[in-house]
Amino acid sequence: MKSLVQRLASLSLIALLAACATGGPKYKEMSQSLTTPQPGTERIWFYRTSVLGAAVQPAVKLNGEVVGSAVPGGFFYVDRAPGDYTVTTATELEKKLTFTLEQGQPRYVRLDISMGLFVGHVYAVLVDEEKAKKEMDSTTYIGKTAAK
Amino acid sequence: MSISSGRRHLEEWPARLLCSVLMLSSLLLSSCAAPVKQQPAGVLQPAQAPKQILVLEEVEVRLSTGYKTTIRPQTNWALAGTIAQGEVYKSRDQVLTVEGYDVHEAYLVVSGDELMGFYLPVEHNFAPISPTKHLRIAR
Repeated sequence: MKSLVQRLASLSLIALLAACATGGPKYKEMSQSLTTPQPGTERIWFYRTSVLGAAVQPAVKLNGEVVGSAVPGGFFYVDRAPGDYTVTTATELEKKLTFTLEQGQPRYVRLDISMGLFVGHVYAVLVDEEKAKKEMDSTTYIGKTAAK
Repeated sequence: MSISSGRRHLEEWPARLLCSVLMLSSLLLSSCAAPVKQQPAGVLQPAQAPKQILVLEEVEVRLSTGYKTTIRPQTNWALAGTIAQGEVYKSRDQVLTVEGYDVHEAYLVVSGDELMGFYLPVEHNFAPISPTKHLRIAR
């Protein structure tokens, strides 16, 4: 019985790790070599640190357009013109984040998870630049192709 | 199963039921946060001249949604414009959001030394707070 429990625990851990972002460069390594946004645009960063609910990886939408996925331990970014933006992630319920993007003020959007009735909800929160950079240090670049 | 263990099992039932109800309630509540109360703010009248305030002490505001938001000490806020409820200030020293069912970026709405509420720049709405909060600020 004990060995069965151990096996199940190992399988769960493997499944959890497989669901996390691996393979790509870490933010810490990549941040120095990143290109700056094109003139007339500013950068919006998206990242998810929590591995809780790792199997829940909804698409991340920016003003209705899918720009990536909420992969645990992963980050990606998009460059957009200044203006008003809405981030949504569709899980059991849709909780949106609204913010303005201005030139010279990149935005950092963390994708958090909260408990839901049947599955976890992933929702977006706006984070200060300094805090976000620290939190992103150990995350891995997942690119825009991660969008499903 | 002996009679005594069976009785103990029955006695544990109300506690188990209560635990289940509490867990289910907390899950339901986390899924059903109230929206942030908003009212139309009208047109944001642009600031005529640059003006800044420095918030000296931390201010914590608990919203009617149950969530709280904190204005950090020693943060600079620049006048963005004016609405009927007061002057609207935004900051690059801190990100400020108000949360309910959704999360909204927010600017301060200040009248005199009182925080009247928040201006939501995307929605162009005013989110009042009750009671208003006194701000220790330097101009």
